[in-house]
Amino acid sequence: MADEARKKEILEKMRNGVIQYDEDACREGANEALEAGLDANEAIFDGLVSGMEEVGRLFEAQEYFVPEILMCADALYAGLDILKPHCKQMDLGVKGSVVIGTVEGDVHDIGKNLVKMMFDVAGFNVYDLGRDVPLDKFVDEQLKTDSDIVCLSAMMTTSMVGMPTIIEKIKAKNPNCMIMIGGAPTSKDLADKWGADGYAEDASNALKEAIKMVAFLKKLRAEKTASQ
Amino acid sequence: MNARERVLKVFKREAVDRVPCFSGMGNITETGINGLGYKFAGIHLDAKQMAETAATTYKLFGYECGVVPVDLCVEAEAMGCVINVYPQAEGILYPTIKEKLIHNEAEMDTIKLPEGFSEKGRIPLMREAIRILKADIGKDVVVGSYVLGPFTLAGQIMELNDLLKLSFKKADKVAKLLDLCADAIILTAKEYEKAGVDFITVREMGATSDVLSPRVFKSLILPPLQKVMKAISAYSVLHICGKTNEIVTSMIEAGPTAISVEQKNDVAESRKKLGPDAIIFGNMDAYNVLVSGSEEVVRQSVRKCIDDGVSGVWPGCDIWPTVPPQNMKAMVEETISYGGKK
Repeated sequence: MADEARKKEILEKMRNGVIQYDEDACREGANEALEAGLDANEAIFDGLVSGMEEVGRLFEAQEYFVPEILMCADALYAGLDILKPHCKQMDLGVKGSVVIGTVEGDVHDIGKNLVKMMFDVAGFNVYDLGRDVPLDKFVDEQLKTDSDIVCLSAMMTTSMVGMPTIIEKIKAKNPNCMIMIGGAPTSKDLADKWGADGYAEDASNALKEAIKMVAFLKKLRAEKTASQ
Repeated sequence: MNARERVLKVFKREAVDRVPCFSGMGNITETGINGLGYKFAGIHLDAKQMAETAATTYKLFGYECGVVPVDLCVEAEAMGCVINVYPQAEGILYPTIKEKLIHNEAEMDTIKLPEGFSEKGRIPLMREAIRILKADIGKDVVVGSYVLGPFTLAGQIMELNDLLKLSFKKADKVAKLLDLCADAIILTAKEYEKAGVDFITVREMGATSDVLSPRVFKSLILPPLQKVMKAISAYSVLHICGKTNEIVTSMIEAGPTAISVEQKNDVAESRKKLGPDAIIFGNMDAYNVLVSGSEEVVRQSVRKCIDDGVSGVWPGCDIWPTVPPQNMKAMVEETISYGGKK
């Protein structure tokens, strides 16, 4: 086991690597974490995710904008790619698989990719359908994979309007499936009206929502570790 | 004073009896398309169908303009992108770019505009559509067209993801690409002018403060926008989506005749900041109010826009075609009855 000071140093390196969009630092940190015998899940949550939480805060404070977030995401993935193969399956009582995509008629996928990242981090099985995805594909993929969550994204008003049809079809076949909608033109009112379980109006909000969710997992994880 | 004269007076900053109700962005309706027996996917590829459909919003509801095109892919297609009009779609799907022009950073340096740009893609079709529209309703209402802003166009011809990151990492490279996009936009706008449009809206939708910092807006987005605005000789409107209160001053600095904002802009605040002479359109919520709202909500929203100081009641985005006819009528009627009271 690594000594506490060294552990702290490595986690800090990854955290700062994400915040300062430094892919090399995240890569180095991840390798050092493995060499030092740190738990991979812990390195992800207390290093990389902790950095992303700060990025979310910087975005809210309007110090960071979308370009910075995208670079931070690249840095996070640089570390995650190294750590992920070493993760133990987390037993947190949440079965994790999610179908995600940008709806047909829309080729914007930045928000979608940020949400996907947080699901990746949390250890979910992510079925990424990409962008410009025909509506029925969401329904088919949900049934095929029996996923717990479906995330629909659209950046343009002109493409968002296909969402209620998908929601209705999925809910008809699988009422327990959670559906998140996201994108600039969405709103809480629309989510409610269309029967979606959650919404995020832009990439940052999507990130915030996903961070919240992962932060919750992190808390569960901490409680679980403490009780052991 | 007819509807056309009224809008032209607004652009000239002359006194009018009331604010007009129009826009420079897409406003075709399903009611209009169905009435003509056309299909949404077909109207993008046929000048006559496009123009006839565009005229219906005026003819059916008294909306005080005619605007073509309907989609946002004209310039990118002329530059060489392949577009998808979703010919098989049952519902309404707007065309998107299927094949980008720039696939990696190196290609940003080698990209050129094709020779004979003004005959590429659907630019000839657009000229034709503008002429037909103008001959049809051009005496009664203004005829407008729109182009994209350089940054938004760049986001179509290459991955937006890469463009955003490079705007940060390699601003010089991006600036060069935006300048080339500005040239493509100017060439397009010139063709629309030749065909007789009264005004051109430049839609720099991707450069909102939801995405880019006001600082990057000033250093990177503004110079090519200024170039475009300077080259347009028709009346020009600069539209940016999303949160824009922080950048309205920069929008004016870009040099358009008027600016257009959406519902996330606090127009009363913008009016205060820019003074009585600025021409500000927009703020009317094109979906949540116009499509989803009741007639009464539409009327309230029109009154609120006017009270807040818009120079024209103008939906802040393309009107979604399934808009209920009674809401379109309510918007126009309320503008007529309330628009002179301020």
